[in-house]
Amino acid sequence: MPQALEGSAAVARAVALCRPGVIAAYPITPQTHIVENISRLVADGELDTELVSVESEFSAASVVLGAAAAGSRAYTASSSQGILLMMEVLYNIAGLRVPLVMTCANRAVGAPISIWNDQQDSMAARDAGWVQLYCVDNQQAVDTTVQAFRIAEQTELPVMVCIDGFTLTHTMEMLALPTQAQVDRYLPPFRFARALDPASPRSLGMLVTPEWFSELRHAHHAALGRAAEVVERADRDWHKLTRRSAGGLIESFGDPDAPYAVLTIGSVGGTFAAALAECPPASPTRLLRLRCYRPFPLAALHEACRGVRELIVVERALSPGQGGIIGTEVRAAFAGMRGAPRVHNVALGLGGRDVPMETLGRLVAAARARRLPPFSIFDLQPERLPAEER
Amino acid sequence: MKQLTRGAWGEPGSSLACHTGSWRDLRPGHEHAAAPCHAACPAGEDPQYWLAAVQEGDHRRAWERLVAANPLPAITGRVCPHPCEQRCNRGHYDTAIGIHGIERFLGDAALAAGWDYPGIVGPPAGAPRVAVVGAGPAGISVAYHLLRHGLVPVVFEAAPEAGGLLRSAIPMTRLPRAVLDAELERVLACGIGLHTRQALGRDFSLDELRAEHAALFLAPGCARSRPWDVQGVIPAGTRDGLDLLKSWIDVGEVPAARRVVVHGGGNTAMDIARVMKRHGAEEVHLVTASGLPGPQTAPDDVLNIVPRELEEGLEEGIVIHPHATLSRVLLRGARIVGVELVALRKLERADGRRARVAFEGTERILQADLVIPCIGEQVDPAGLGALVQRSGFLRVDARGGVAGACDLYAGGDACGNIGTVAAAVGDGRRAANAIAARLAGAEPSERPRTEIGIERLNLNYFEPRPARRAAVLPVAERDDLCEIEGSLDAAAVADEAGRCFACGNCLACDNCWVLCPDAAVLKIADTASDGSRYVFDYDYCKGCGLCASECPSGFIAMRPEPE
Amino acid sequence: MDESPRQLIARQREAEPRYRGLESGHRACQGCGEALAARLVTEVAGGDVVVANATGCLEVFTTPWPQSAWRMPWMHSLFENAAAIASDIEAALRHQQRPTKVLAFGGDGGTFDIGFQALSGMLEREHDVLYVCYDNEAYMNTGIQRSSSTPHAAMTTTSPPGRERMGKRHLKKDLLSIIGAHHIPYAASASVAYPRDLQRKVRRALEISGPTFLLVHSPCPLGWGHGGERTIEVGRLAVQTGLFPLVEIERGAVTAVMPLRVPRPVSEYLALQGRFRHLFADEPRAREELEHLQALADHNIAVYGLLGGAPDALDADGADTVRRGGAVA
Repeated sequence: MPQALEGSAAVARAVALCRPGVIAAYPITPQTHIVENISRLVADGELDTELVSVESEFSAASVVLGAAAAGSRAYTASSSQGILLMMEVLYNIAGLRVPLVMTCANRAVGAPISIWNDQQDSMAARDAGWVQLYCVDNQQAVDTTVQAFRIAEQTELPVMVCIDGFTLTHTMEMLALPTQAQVDRYLPPFRFARALDPASPRSLGMLVTPEWFSELRHAHHAALGRAAEVVERADRDWHKLTRRSAGGLIESFGDPDAPYAVLTIGSVGGTFAAALAECPPASPTRLLRLRCYRPFPLAALHEACRGVRELIVVERALSPGQGGIIGTEVRAAFAGMRGAPRVHNVALGLGGRDVPMETLGRLVAAARARRLPPFSIFDLQPERLPAEER
Repeated sequence: MKQLTRGAWGEPGSSLACHTGSWRDLRPGHEHAAAPCHAACPAGEDPQYWLAAVQEGDHRRAWERLVAANPLPAITGRVCPHPCEQRCNRGHYDTAIGIHGIERFLGDAALAAGWDYPGIVGPPAGAPRVAVVGAGPAGISVAYHLLRHGLVPVVFEAAPEAGGLLRSAIPMTRLPRAVLDAELERVLACGIGLHTRQALGRDFSLDELRAEHAALFLAPGCARSRPWDVQGVIPAGTRDGLDLLKSWIDVGEVPAARRVVVHGGGNTAMDIARVMKRHGAEEVHLVTASGLPGPQTAPDDVLNIVPRELEEGLEEGIVIHPHATLSRVLLRGARIVGVELVALRKLERADGRRARVAFEGTERILQADLVIPCIGEQVDPAGLGALVQRSGFLRVDARGGVAGACDLYAGGDACGNIGTVAAAVGDGRRAANAIAARLAGAEPSERPRTEIGIERLNLNYFEPRPARRAAVLPVAERDDLCEIEGSLDAAAVADEAGRCFACGNCLACDNCWVLCPDAAVLKIADTASDGSRYVFDYDYCKGCGLCASECPSGFIAMRPEPE
Repeated sequence: MDESPRQLIARQREAEPRYRGLESGHRACQGCGEALAARLVTEVAGGDVVVANATGCLEVFTTPWPQSAWRMPWMHSLFENAAAIASDIEAALRHQQRPTKVLAFGGDGGTFDIGFQALSGMLEREHDVLYVCYDNEAYMNTGIQRSSSTPHAAMTTTSPPGRERMGKRHLKKDLLSIIGAHHIPYAASASVAYPRDLQRKVRRALEISGPTFLLVHSPCPLGWGHGGERTIEVGRLAVQTGLFPLVEIERGAVTAVMPLRVPRPVSEYLALQGRFRHLFADEPRAREELEHLQALADHNIAVYGLLGGAPDALDADGADTVRRGGAVA
């Protein structure tokens, strides 16, 4: 039964349906509404969980790590500076192969301080060894949140569900929540085989010498590689149960034979889907929405780009001094391939700048006109810059 | 092939695969060093060993451990000067353990309960016979230890009863005759053949004995007083202290005198001095070339009197003149009216030997009407012939063997030792070991143990505790018969034994077990081969030495790791 | 078949009359105070616990993969988050309705400094966790750098004495008072030199439901510059001089101290350790710093009322007394 819910409230309800044992969080905009909603559910007795209001994001991440290691399903959420403060623990959680779920309410990273949306924060955690899933809308956010627990627990990897701050977290949408029965059928009770247990007292987090480190890294890397299939299957099973897909690895919209394609990540994919319907570009264009960024779905990307000649990668973060992050990876994905598309790369919508629907048409036109440099910030207004900064 | 675990988790306790013992260059080990009390005991007792049993409340086991060395604890507990107490490490901390009181308690307990001497089995048929001359402490001891070795001792004693000096020269106030008789009787009853009224040189000769016995042990004692004079003068009617003491013990009488000078610094001198005082002498002076115990006096220069006897003598009013000798006897006619004293000291001479030197100008006069010489005794040469040296004693090696005669051994006062009962007991034990070894064609096996000093103890783990001492009769109540020092009760004995540092032995205090950072000291249910309840796991011990430094009793020593 | 000596000792190890939480084969230095302290703590805590361990010597020397010296469930995450990890293990166990106790272990660097915030949070949120800080007064794992727990005037590689300086300029942080100010039910200091007192405090702390804290003085032979065989002697003198007072704090108030029968001069303690060697140079600055440390000890004695009256079985002289068959106290 669809209902109108704010994104944060919807995510909170989805988390509650997954019956987490421990939740830890520390307030940061724009993640706060999620935690506040969870707190209310706990206060009202609708959610039986240990809600730990920690003294920093660093501790929040540590708390969920310990809880999951002790055998409880654990969840946390953060944003921006909070993600960066957690960074040491994020690597640690993944390296220890401890399954848990975190929502990243995507926000720009200071300085300059900005509370508004882009994806620099989760991109900074790209190499931490987590599964990263990006949501187009709040329905996907709800569905992905439930799927994330299953993916985490099947792969023994942590999963970061990325939801654009404000754009999704603070926006009311009509969406359908799964029922408790559906979730219970989909998500078996949490059992962590390596849990800290006096009955079987393991030591976790040991010192690994050079003799063994590479093998351990490989094992982690390979586990992430295998996780792509788990992500796909989780979505397929969810679709069977609810008739809804949350986007698989990559979603493809529009003309499947179009020579132009725009690859997006996160909620921009929603804006551009609307644009495709309401103000389509002058050239035939397909829209590719990258949902699973880690593991990077190489095969699915190749498949989705079959027949594409011009591929425009649109992202919400950058690696200063280098350029686009996803764009670089996509270029690498096609490097040396016969008939590979020309890859254009732009960042846009940084620090919360609005991305209007018309952007899609302008992007395709610019690519067609060969006006796009290898990388640029597309919605930049260079005239605002002093000459020496342009 | 070892395989990775997910996230590199580890199995519990898997570090046991890592043998950190290879780091070690020093290895801890249990080392049962000799406690000072043991090293000091002429009889060879190991008091800290039997004190442990006392502390556990097992008096019988304590006594059995004790009599493995000394069969006469009820006697030595009373008469021995207890050099063990003087060397006791606890003496450097608060007060030495009162070992004599506990020894006496155990001896008395055995008399009362009739415990069997352990380790005595009837000698096998045809076992070698060993003749023992003299049934004093040395003779009784050698006979007892010969029995323990499965040999047959045959004892010949000139007097009508066994006991030697114990009977003839030690006052009843120190050694009640009931105790003496009871303990001697119990030892003799172990299987010692005793022939009394058999005097060497009168009733039998050495050659006769040698013909019938596999070995001989001579313990005739010192029956003859050393010749005494003052500058060539011997006042008429002079009787030496030993002689006076004997007749006092036999008939209860001593010569009447107002002012008595006893010349000598041994127990006989003190005993006769106290008898004279009790029998009406107004003043009794004890003049000795030795010094009083104390830091000013070298250990080999202290007068040879049991410390508590010295103390009691002083209480009773005996005046001691240390570091002095008689330089003249003042006579009026044949009657003594006084003596002249002169100060002297034991000094090192040009040739390196120490000798007593009198100091001119220190002469002083003491009024006196009786002088009792007590400067020591020597062997009666009857039947011994050339065996008696110019010194007046027999000469033996460390095992009691008489030089030049492989079947001849000797011990006790006759060998000129320090003249204590314990020393005589020790002589007997060592000689019995040597005789048994020789007869078995083996080397005597007495492994010397290094003595442990107080620096090897960790005193942090002990607390000062008051010593428990037996009550002593007040001076006014002392007579010729009543034992002056009383007995301790079982509670006091347990308490006093509990003060023992157990030097060089295991207290079972758990320190090594509690303090090992490497869990390489294991506490075991059984007793380890060294008698402790702990073993070192050398697979893991890194040799830090913490256990050794925190062992209260110095039972753990660090030694270089064997190659 | 006859038992080999190695089989015998392995059997004796298994039959030991105590729980061994920290097994042999760990790679701590010879005479390591921290290894001893952890062994003593885990021994009384027993097997029904979960341990969260901060990065540091203890973590490194106990768990070089694949060999772990721990016999209880144990987890290391990071340097600064042991308290947070412990918090959530506790929250998880509470949610699972399991009575298992949670311990957190950290060194002084991970407790006084980088992990302080997480610890404060854990205490404030009243997690039922016993946090044990093994205080060896410097960053030993990284090679003896000063921490806020390093005592005044001590030499470390980042507080070396020189022409201008006499070791660490600042004072040892009074962490226990800060912990006490959290109004938690129980906080105490202890020393490896007084193992029975230490174990009593662990027992006490574990009986309490709620956050408890134990600061365990753990001499480091390598970092302090003393022989491994002197770890206990050094620890004992730290207590007996008054430089490391053993106190118990309940709800912020001092409720018990280990009295000193006769306080020992600080020079006895300092002279045993290489890290204070410069204080024994024949120069006025050295003499001044010696006096300064004596004054700090006297201050502790006055503030905590450490001077005992009559000799007492539980004072700093009596508390380690043994007799045949075990400890007295």
